[in-house]
Amino acid sequence: MARIKKVLVANRGEIAIRVMRTCKELGLATVAVYSEADRSALHTRFADEAYCVGPAASRESYLVIDNILEAAKKSGADAIHPGYGFLSENPKFVRACEKAGITFIGPPASAMDAMGEKTMARRNMIKAGVPVVPGTEAPFDNFEQARAFAGKIGFPVMLKAAGGGGGKGMRRVDRMEDLDSAWRTAKSEAMSAFGNDAVYMEKFLDQPHHIEIQVFGDMHGNVIHLNERECSAQRRNQKVVEETPSPILTPAMRAAMGEVAVKAAKAVNYVGAGTIEFLVDAHRNFYFLEMNTRLQVEHPVTEWVTGVDLVAWQIHVAQGGVLPLLEPIEPRGHSIEVRVYAEDPATNFMPSPGTIKYVRVPAGPNIRDDSGVFTGYRVPNFYDPMISKLSVWAPTRMEAILKMRRALDEYVLMGITTNLRYLRQIMLHPEFVKGEYDTGFLPREHQKLLGSEDPAVTRASMIAAAVRAHQITEKAQAHIAQAQQRSGGSSLSPWRTADRRQGSWKRG
Amino acid sequence: MARATKYHVKNLATKDAEATVIEVEALGEGRYAITLDGHRSELESLTLPHGTVSMIIDGQSHSVEFDEKGDEVDVLLNGQYTRFDVADERKLRLRAASAGFVVEGRQVVTAPMPGKIVKIFVKVGDEVTEGQAVAVVEAMKMENELKSPKAGKVTEIITREGATVENGAPLLVVE
Repeated sequence: MARIKKVLVANRGEIAIRVMRTCKELGLATVAVYSEADRSALHTRFADEAYCVGPAASRESYLVIDNILEAAKKSGADAIHPGYGFLSENPKFVRACEKAGITFIGPPASAMDAMGEKTMARRNMIKAGVPVVPGTEAPFDNFEQARAFAGKIGFPVMLKAAGGGGGKGMRRVDRMEDLDSAWRTAKSEAMSAFGNDAVYMEKFLDQPHHIEIQVFGDMHGNVIHLNERECSAQRRNQKVVEETPSPILTPAMRAAMGEVAVKAAKAVNYVGAGTIEFLVDAHRNFYFLEMNTRLQVEHPVTEWVTGVDLVAWQIHVAQGGVLPLLEPIEPRGHSIEVRVYAEDPATNFMPSPGTIKYVRVPAGPNIRDDSGVFTGYRVPNFYDPMISKLSVWAPTRMEAILKMRRALDEYVLMGITTNLRYLRQIMLHPEFVKGEYDTGFLPREHQKLLGSEDPAVTRASMIAAAVRAHQITEKAQAHIAQAQQRSGGSSLSPWRTADRRQGSWKRG
Repeated sequence: MARATKYHVKNLATKDAEATVIEVEALGEGRYAITLDGHRSELESLTLPHGTVSMIIDGQSHSVEFDEKGDEVDVLLNGQYTRFDVADERKLRLRAASAGFVVEGRQVVTAPMPGKIVKIFVKVGDEVTEGQAVAVVEAMKMENELKSPKAGKVTEIITREGATVENGAPLLVVE
């Protein structure tokens, strides 16, 4: 198969930049696509070439296959990397790329067909002898079916979008009375996220662990696993903190889950990077949850402990290359990633788009920040509120926690509300430090994780605020004195002028 | 030497708390004398070109970020964000003078973020309880329920389903 020379990244934000970074290292030309809202975005400016693919709404830009392919043709890109989200798990897109003679850097459409629609994936896994969580065989035709099924398996249940994952279109339902509203919001969220409002139901396992296995396949029938990621720290069913190795996994369990994951990937002739998600119950039984047929958001932790550049492998395998390693890799040390979101944990994680007035990311040994933002960047309200992924590596888990605390202390993000402090509280929480947290951890400890103030810091901050106010007044008064000297007295009241100056005395 | 100025600093995270009085006296060249709870501190301040302020308070070095929002200011110091209301005595007098204009009882539900109004659950004349969901706003692919801030009657609906709204836009009124 021909070598790839120019890669179009059909995505935005941090993942577009992360993919392009590897492309640049490999000497490949890069092409960005951007919506009208992303003209100033970092990925648009980071690439060698950039093409506008439509208006702000992703349904009219990043999700329009024809527009993406047109940009590929115009630029002469010979390969497309889809990132995660958007078109990354859409088999129609894969087929359209094939038809256009462009290499899709990802699994074949047939593997997506088999795994993408979640209820079909469940049926395929049952056939391959992989354990699954009890639930429906197919999406519901109507609400009555959902009600009947919930009545049969008993509450709590999970309503889930059949068309995709990532916490979108997913609702836990505890009582029959709540099923109606969960049904409606899950369907409408699924529609806007995946263009498909089909939902199905699973029995809700009580406070399970969410552990996933990274798998990788090539076109020659080789499939290996690259160990697990512990993803149990979730809010609103979305991951917030991920780490590897999982603090609860024994080497024997890792080997068993890895073997099942490889079996699952082989059952659908998987090629490229993929992730098999499992739920692990209190008795350490594990169940297949779903397969994500793409690069995962939290892939950096795997890269930290294996030393593998997963994007480089994706490109290598897409060119027909044999996997560089055919044996499992022992994880080296420990890695933790946190997701920095533009959201307010205190108001139920309400997104808080706005302008980043100042950003300074942590640095130092074994710290990695994947982000697509910069000082002066306006976080648009059309896309996911994640602004950065911060990951660290250390020889042991405790050292990784200490390093993450230090890194979070260094992180400066002004102008918008973020979850930075909340993340820091997670790193301090005894349950997290012990490593015995399940998916119920963040909701259960929510109040505590909002954190309380450090009185000494508050006192210093208070003094700083007073001095700041004094400096603003001093500056305003200096302006008045100057103005009066120039004009020999003004008709405007000096205090009114001072107020105006105060209002405009902002970060310059 | 300049006379000390009194600032009333209120931590907005702690509801109903009394404002703390902090006296600031400029000593020149970025040096200040601070009096708080009868304790005197020395502070040396250096504003960097990009806006970060380095403050050394009694030998303790802090890199401080400020974000002014009207009379309120967000302070980031040692990884902690704290929002304060800061007023000098003149500002307090101005506030006291305009305090008569506050309308009681009427609560306007506003958009907490820019986004799209997906659903409005109430109509004019509906009785609502405190915390009852009144509308759904969608932004950044997440749907968020807006709750009534108080019990009362919906007297006005300013927006409609499907409308795109800016941050802070009034949506409906509960009295």
